[in-house]
Amino acid sequence: MNQFAQWLSQTYLSILIQNHNGWVIPTIQSIHIAGIGVVLASVFMVDLRILGWAGLDQTLRQTTNRFAPWLTGALCVLLATGVLMVIGEPVRELITVSFWIKMFLVGVGTLVAATFRISLRKHEHHWEDTISNRASIKWLAILTFLIWVVIIILGRLIAYDHVWGSWSPAQKA
Amino acid sequence: MDLPTFLASLESSGVATKIRNSLYFFPLIEATHVFGLAMVFGTMAIIDFRLLGLASTRRSFRRMASDILKWTWAAFIVTAATGSLMFITNAGVYYHNIFFRTKIVMLALAGINMLVFELTAGRSIDRWDKAASTPLIGRTTAVLSLAIWITIIFLGRWIGFTTTRATVGPEPQINLDNIFPGASEGTTPTAPPNEK
Repeated sequence: MNQFAQWLSQTYLSILIQNHNGWVIPTIQSIHIAGIGVVLASVFMVDLRILGWAGLDQTLRQTTNRFAPWLTGALCVLLATGVLMVIGEPVRELITVSFWIKMFLVGVGTLVAATFRISLRKHEHHWEDTISNRASIKWLAILTFLIWVVIIILGRLIAYDHVWGSWSPAQKA
Repeated sequence: MDLPTFLASLESSGVATKIRNSLYFFPLIEATHVFGLAMVFGTMAIIDFRLLGLASTRRSFRRMASDILKWTWAAFIVTAATGSLMFITNAGVYYHNIFFRTKIVMLALAGINMLVFELTAGRSIDRWDKAASTPLIGRTTAVLSLAIWITIIFLGRWIGFTTTRATVGPEPQINLDNIFPGASEGTTPTAPPNEK
């Protein structure tokens, strides 16, 4: 991974970003944060609906249809800006514990959201009438939200990988 | 007490000292700040898009506002609290930072913008509560709200890149550029401001 990070840092696009790092990196980060806001709020609204704490004038399907495209769109923006950040600062991103746990959780969060959407489409009535009333599903809704919260926190901690102490590859290197 | 003395007293307060001396407090506070502002921005945007007639157009505005805005305010409190904690660790530096100052002005503008909405379109909600089209002033405040909050996100990031975090603690100062010489090729060799 160190070699990959080094190689990446020599690529044309990486050097281009590095040469303009005064404004390119903060701009990409700012767009990334705005995108995170859209993802978090979208997940939050669907989770609140599952919990029955908001949006009860809408069906679960209506709520999901309202927010899922925003979730998908924002995730694409996050992927694009995230890739640019990795290209621009490969060592700072890739040689950290936070980054890799975050990537794992992004995978889990995306998988949960996709599975939910497919299942809702297949078993719409079942979801509306019974599944969404299950305690286990309500806990899963809370857990899903927390996964995205942890993703955000880990995202910021990439800049401070020393918090992981000896777990951090940057410390060992 | 004059202002420099006040800022210095904030910096030397017990809480500020504790945060500075810890390896963990500042990063965790900053991470929580990002979580809070993501919530504020994201939930606010849902309301703004409803006002603009771009999403959730068939839903009652009043209902959406009462469902969502309490969370926006809760998140705002988290964000303001964590922001204040970061501020006191290095009050003098932040106070003089132009991006910090602009951000505070923007926060005030966001408040005024909200007040304008409440005093105008907010008073006639009964007339357009379930209509896709909202009053022009409502749409104007929605556009302003989105613009202001996006600007606030950018300014916040710029504060991080233009200030140096005060650290007294035993923070390991590892210079990755020395470890991976290739990483810094092409970059200007100036010392990066703290991170980020």
